[in-house]
Amino acid sequence: MFDVFALGPTGWGDEMLMGAVMTVLVSSSSLLLGITLGIVFAACKLSNFFILRAIAEVYTTIIRGIPELLVIYLLFFGGSSAVMYLAKIFGYMGYIELNAFTIGTIAVGAISGAYSTEVIRGAVNSVPKGQFEVGKTLGLSGYSLYGKIIFPQVARIALPGIGNVWQITLKDTALISVTGLVEIMRQSRIAAGSTHEPFIFYTAAIILYLLITRLSNIFFDSAEKKYSKGYVSKEAL
Amino acid sequence: MRNLKSIMVGLMISALSTVAFADGHWSTIKIGTEGAYEPWNFTDSDGNLVGAELDLARDLCARMNAECEFVQQDWDGIIPALVNGKYDVIMAGMSVTEERKKTISFSKAYMTEPARFFALNSSPLSTFSSAKNLNLDDDGDSTSGTISALNNAMKGMNVGVTVATIHEDFANKYLDSNLKVYPTQDEMNLDLAAGRIDAMLCDVGTAEAFMETAGGSDVVTFGPNVFGGLLGEGVGAGIRQGDADLKAMFDKAIADAAADGTISKISMQWFGKDLAP
Repeated sequence: MFDVFALGPTGWGDEMLMGAVMTVLVSSSSLLLGITLGIVFAACKLSNFFILRAIAEVYTTIIRGIPELLVIYLLFFGGSSAVMYLAKIFGYMGYIELNAFTIGTIAVGAISGAYSTEVIRGAVNSVPKGQFEVGKTLGLSGYSLYGKIIFPQVARIALPGIGNVWQITLKDTALISVTGLVEIMRQSRIAAGSTHEPFIFYTAAIILYLLITRLSNIFFDSAEKKYSKGYVSKEAL
Repeated sequence: MRNLKSIMVGLMISALSTVAFADGHWSTIKIGTEGAYEPWNFTDSDGNLVGAELDLARDLCARMNAECEFVQQDWDGIIPALVNGKYDVIMAGMSVTEERKKTISFSKAYMTEPARFFALNSSPLSTFSSAKNLNLDDDGDSTSGTISALNNAMKGMNVGVTVATIHEDFANKYLDSNLKVYPTQDEMNLDLAAGRIDAMLCDVGTAEAFMETAGGSDVVTFGPNVFGGLLGEGVGAGIRQGDADLKAMFDKAIADAAADGTISKISMQWFGKDLAP
């Protein structure tokens, strides 16, 4: 039974591993994009300008309110249609392919960005107002205030939430398989359909996903520990 | 000034692309396939696309003097991606149906999995002999002759079909026997094995799966391969509705490949039987 997972041309082991690498690549780029979007839109939501708050509200409401698959379809098929439409205006009639990896990262990144926005906004709100005031009283501003005082506190509160967003992001990448990007899901579907052994390959996919989440949990646990240094947890009191 | 520049660039690009098209619009044909539907099209463990449709596509492209380029696409997005222009043709074991024809057009079928009749090996029907094929698109004497031979052989017998299928339509239109309509193939299989019906009409694949089980070991097939007409056209190449020239090229290449036996040869190699139209 394990012959089918041999590495090299006789087995599917190398293809499945490449699929796992692709999943990790696309989910980590999506998470990075998502956190960036999250910081930007959380700042918008916390700003004093109505228009910025409204834009951020529209973004999180729409993205969190519609199925992820729809976002991916919209960007993948709609995205290249839109680019081709623009190109047509300039007289170029051919097909323009938007790279499946880029589109997938943008789509899943936009989704995880909406969830990250809420996580980060909540975390910033949980930092006591006094921390900002004391920082300013001490004459701190810019990086020394936000980077040294506020960020570590926000990070401590946001990390468990971001860990959750990471797992959602990781699983959302399975949906990108519809664009033809060969990640774990698409690779196991190819292997299952080509060998008529769906059970073996979907089980392998489960194990790969669990391995990735397990390893990333170790990373998030240690990051949480790092940012909780100097903070006495309620359980300890 | 900026506007003028972009118009110039636009004109230049369109001039270039016109030249490219004039040099043979379809010198390269991109073929989209799923790569996960053995033996039609699938992926070997080294990641290469293989299968009956890959072999056929290469042969067709050679006939059309075109370069074949294969693009893998998940089944879920396979029609939208064709419409969008990601590739020009779908060859992915896709049956030609009226529903799909609303969105895309199809070449003529390059392979068909015909319907056939099945009976127990103890039945007199098991020795029934007839023409190899019954093509309902052909209204010649051989078609009507084969149908009346079938009706003679099955006179007064019970013939099973499953409900709301092309096979039920066929039986209603052409057969004189007593029809028994079943909700599922499985129930019909059991009744055939138990002798409650004398024959059944269904797709070859599903019946063969039953014949491989212990309960179906006494079942044999008889009569012609039935296809065409109201049984549908089989599996064809999906093509954008606007590309009538490409459809014409495929129709001709498929007709040639069917006529010189290439499709039969590929079919025998991958399916172990002849699915040529």
